[in-house]
Amino acid sequence: MFMPIRLALALTFILTTPWAVLAEVQDESALDIQVREIAKTLRCTVCQTENIWESGAPLAQQMRGVVRDRLKMGHSPEDIKEYFLSRYGDYIMMQPPAHGVNWLLWAGPFILLLGGGLLLYKEVIGWVRRTPTPSTTPPTPLDEQARQRLERELES
Amino acid sequence: MIIEIGHFSTIIALVLSVFGMASAALALKTRNPDWARSGRMAVTLIFVLLGIGMLALVYSFIVRDFSVLYVANNSNSNLPFFYTVSAVWGGHEGSLLLWVFILSVFSTLAVWLHWRTQPTIMPYLIGVECAIIFGFLCLIVFLSSPFERLLPIPLEGKDLNPLLQDPAMVMHPPMLYMGYVGFSIPFSFAMAALFSGRLGEEWIKVTQRWTTFAWMCLTTGILLGGYWAYYELGWGGYWGWDPVENASFMPWLVGTAYLHSVLVQEKRKMFKVWNLFLIIVTFSLSLIGTFLVRSGVLTSVHSFATDPERGLYILIFVGTIIGIAFGALILRSAKLKSQVELDSLISRESIFLFNNLFFLVAAATVFLGTLYPLILETFGGGKVTVGPPYYNAVFMPIALGLLFLMGIGPYIPWRKASVENLRKSFSIPLLAGAIMVALLAITGIRNLYALAGSYVVAFSGMAIVMDFSKVSQLYAQRNSSNIFKGCLAAFTANQRRYAAMLTHIGVLVLVIGIIASTIYQTEKVVSMKVGDEMSIGDYRMKLTNIHDVEGGNWKAEEGVFQVYEDETLLTELRPQKRIYNATQTPTTESAIYSINMGHIFLTMPEVSPEGVAVARGVLNPLILWVWGGGIIMGLGVILNILRPRKREE
Amino acid sequence: MTKGSQLTLVLVLLGLFALFYQGLWGDPRHIPTVLIGTDAPMVEGPDVETGDLISLNQFKGKVILLNFWASWCYECKVEHESVLQLHKLFKDDPNFVMLGVNYQDKLPDAQQYLKEYGTTFAHMRDLHGQLAIDYGVYGVPETFVIDQQGKIRYKYVGPVTGHMYTKITQEIIAPLLKGKPISTPS
Repeated sequence: MFMPIRLALALTFILTTPWAVLAEVQDESALDIQVREIAKTLRCTVCQTENIWESGAPLAQQMRGVVRDRLKMGHSPEDIKEYFLSRYGDYIMMQPPAHGVNWLLWAGPFILLLGGGLLLYKEVIGWVRRTPTPSTTPPTPLDEQARQRLERELES
Repeated sequence: MIIEIGHFSTIIALVLSVFGMASAALALKTRNPDWARSGRMAVTLIFVLLGIGMLALVYSFIVRDFSVLYVANNSNSNLPFFYTVSAVWGGHEGSLLLWVFILSVFSTLAVWLHWRTQPTIMPYLIGVECAIIFGFLCLIVFLSSPFERLLPIPLEGKDLNPLLQDPAMVMHPPMLYMGYVGFSIPFSFAMAALFSGRLGEEWIKVTQRWTTFAWMCLTTGILLGGYWAYYELGWGGYWGWDPVENASFMPWLVGTAYLHSVLVQEKRKMFKVWNLFLIIVTFSLSLIGTFLVRSGVLTSVHSFATDPERGLYILIFVGTIIGIAFGALILRSAKLKSQVELDSLISRESIFLFNNLFFLVAAATVFLGTLYPLILETFGGGKVTVGPPYYNAVFMPIALGLLFLMGIGPYIPWRKASVENLRKSFSIPLLAGAIMVALLAITGIRNLYALAGSYVVAFSGMAIVMDFSKVSQLYAQRNSSNIFKGCLAAFTANQRRYAAMLTHIGVLVLVIGIIASTIYQTEKVVSMKVGDEMSIGDYRMKLTNIHDVEGGNWKAEEGVFQVYEDETLLTELRPQKRIYNATQTPTTESAIYSINMGHIFLTMPEVSPEGVAVARGVLNPLILWVWGGGIIMGLGVILNILRPRKREE
Repeated sequence: MTKGSQLTLVLVLLGLFALFYQGLWGDPRHIPTVLIGTDAPMVEGPDVETGDLISLNQFKGKVILLNFWASWCYECKVEHESVLQLHKLFKDDPNFVMLGVNYQDKLPDAQQYLKEYGTTFAHMRDLHGQLAIDYGVYGVPETFVIDQQGKIRYKYVGPVTGHMYTKITQEIIAPLLKGKPISTPS
């Protein structure tokens, strides 16, 4: 084997422990911030519902390393997300991509809110219409009475 | 020997729960009060026997009896004494025992407290409580007993999960369970109302304090869980939308809807079926939460055993309770004619309905997000993650809507509000919101959520202030006293209302804390050697030393960081990277310095053999408002519960 | 309550419990792979024992079995015997190659492990976990089968023992070596 390759190998051996990936950081640069932004969108696959930025698992550290290396090589954040998607599937993203059946998840709550709101509105309007005006006044609770009395006193 | 006594007591308690159900049934059938009395005796004895069971387990933990399998799995001879007691609920089996023990305490209290005033309800209450106790005791006795022996006896225990060796974790599970279980009392009264057909306001008035108490416990439990996650998990956040967290949040959301909606029934005698529905959903969600956490259907950071058999049993049990409850509701409601009287869309009644809608949609959102991966997988759609980004995008708008309604509901009159009313009550709050947004925009805040959140908070806050100051003034004028005495008079005269307002203020404070500490969080990860400095925000942190420290059952590398603001030394922070001896589990212990109501939060997740430390600094502005808001909420609830009884109650 | 809302309630409850029941039997930790049928990444790494560079490229056109392992992994020890057995079964076929990938390990530990438990095939080291991420690995042991066209045809997470051993040898590798189609993806 050629000398340079051996040398390169020896160097890579030194760089194998996980901290090595992080040790190169001195202070946060634009790169670090980019790494963080991407890392926060990716799930640590061996942890449960934790992103690779927050996780302390070795795999998460290595994934952060991959993100950093690829950014350095000039890959765009989109490319990097694509890469992880192609390796791990949708599971790797911290949120389901908004396509296909997933629209049910994304739009579901708002559909419920709008649909429920409309139904409730119609129902309430119906109740109001059916209520004879002025309605029979039931006894007002005590604290309310006190308040009304006070208000009357004040106005008089 | 001691543990066998505990085991035996638990088995007897199981038998007694059957007896309790039978006496309840007989009491209803024969109308003979003696049967109810023997049911009461059964409930009381169950409490005593389960107490013995708990004590036996606590004792085994204290003497570190590793011949007990559960103790061997969750303790160790070096585990500090403080945690040996909390280790009782550090695992699956013990948590279940704690759950059912708390249930027996509440049942006994409820039976004795309401014995005289609610004689007709008692058989139902005893029956329902005994049925729930029976279900959980079967699970404990037959499928997950903490009283099993282990042979051969190990010399050493496996140790309690290091993440659980934390003061917040001592209190978190009991509080949470008190919340879940507390809702079983209004649930039982609701079931009594359904079975007996006495659907008046009686059961709601009787259980109002129970509901409030359960709600307070659940809130405290959730907040404690957040607090624990904040400084123990070491990533500087307190809420991760993890399935286990969600499982406790869902009953909270529906329980809160219930808490508000019963007010309408109390005052206007409407929405009877709706309130029954809400309390059944609340308690069902408590049970489903237990199922989700205990069966391993969902994975999460906190996930416990995956055991289909156990899961199947819990599912059958939970399904039976929920099925009976909803079945009774459906059958009864078919006979009930709805008698809703509403004078106007613009009234407190109708705002409460919309409040309920928002709470239910919020709960449904959490439910959908939690179960979506399971749904998708069941239909062969692959595996996905539903994480915080989803909830931040979808849940937040709903939460803002709720906060806005919070500023309207309490200040709009019952029955009908005139335009004049609305103008008087809400023009100033609306203006306050606008001024707040303008001020923040001037100071350079551009984040949409932050602006929308501040608008809503200012609006709702101002509405509270306006209402209270108006009423206080009235009282001050009437009594010709000063305004402070007026405030006090107003508060004591309407303690229920203004205690609730105090809770609302707590919510607003909490929300400000959440907005500030999530949107304006600054974080930085830097590798440092001794002598290096990192700067974060206005602060500089200088690593002056890394040394080894040792605790009772752990060893750690501790970094000493001097924190400077300009040239002033503020404090020394000492984050640790711990390894617990027994399990060799690493944990990162955060170091926190409070400043300006916020935190400087520092962890040291990694130290290389060459002495290069990875330091992670987080600035969490106004984080103390999150916890402070929680405390104010709790204070409000306590004042609510301790209010003097009024004649109409 | 109206008839409609009663019916909705019943249906929702039934659906929910059916879902929970179904969920009980799934393994929440099982994650389907998206890699089946895709080109196997042509990874490379130094040999654990000799330090020479091993590249997957060298074995193009052969059926390759990749086995990810680590010295700290308990299940890897469980499967070690049958993995060696598997190699023995096919090693005389010139179209078969078996490679171990040592994952997240310290070199001395890995070397010690191989010395202690013995090995009959080569192992490459995964520096920085890059190989594992390329193969979408979650944890060890994980086993991949790559066909002559360089496509990933099979992936299994967990120890290759018992019926998994039978399945991989008889239903995956043997047909692939004979150029026959295999019926069971993942």
